[in-house]
Amino acid sequence: MTDDIQVTVSFERGATIIDLAGDVTTFAEEAINKAYHDASSDGAHNIIFNFREDDYINSAGIAILIGIVTEARKRDQRLLMTGLSSHFQKIFRMVGLTQYADLYPSLEEALASIEEAA
Amino acid sequence: MIPPNTTRVVELKIPGELGYERVAREAAASVARRLGFSPERIEELQTAVDEACTNAIRHGSKSDARMKVVVVLSADEDKLDILVKDPGAGDSPPADVMTPDIQAQVEGRSPTGGLGLWLIRQMVDEAYFVEDDESGGNQFRMIIYRTMDERHPALDDGSSSTDDEGDNQ
Repeated sequence: MTDDIQVTVSFERGATIIDLAGDVTTFAEEAINKAYHDASSDGAHNIIFNFREDDYINSAGIAILIGIVTEARKRDQRLLMTGLSSHFQKIFRMVGLTQYADLYPSLEEALASIEEAA
Repeated sequence: MIPPNTTRVVELKIPGELGYERVAREAAASVARRLGFSPERIEELQTAVDEACTNAIRHGSKSDARMKVVVVLSADEDKLDILVKDPGAGDSPPADVMTPDIQAQVEGRSPTGGLGLWLIRQMVDEAYFVEDDESGGNQFRMIIYRTMDERHPALDDGSSSTDDEGDNQ
């Protein structure tokens, strides 16, 4: 039994956007890490993880994101996260992920933030 | 006529294989909706049940689909009592639950993971392993009240909120 996760990558206004739709669990590890490493190999500096409101994220999924935060820090990349439900925003704050990745309510606001910083 | 304080019990068995924890969390959410839990409480419940079942599958069943994890949901008017039982195929539950140090993980001073039990503690009102000398397996019990107002007064002074015996799960 595997959980469904759809991972798609796009580029917009100076950002690499990694769209995640589905369950972010241990089954998502390979797809998410591949998307991130491909983006990094292409020289991405601003990377947005764009979640869906109904995505489910468990502790294994959080561990995947902590691993990416670790890599991003070494590469001096900026990570942004958008689209999270209020439940998972709360969990990300509790865990401390927001020390390393900025949360935005919408993709548009994340993109605007990148443009302002440019 | 059914007495008003009757406990409704839903029991399910899931294979000891990752992915089936989703079945348990959706069943728990369905029961909680019937009890009138708020959407926020249901999300907290789902996270707790998912993590507890993931631990029971990964550690208590060693991810062996032939093993069974039993989830018993006992619904009262004001709370849901959840018992997750596994065969105890892996190591004993760890003794302490430590707050995750994400800075140490990001700086490579500590391995990632070990969030599950800690996360459960943040989501429910009570969470602890139950001694089970008869079966030899693990039993993990969680209690979540329908609203924060219905919590037992003793929980609010922090004296008995959680009594876990685990870490790194």
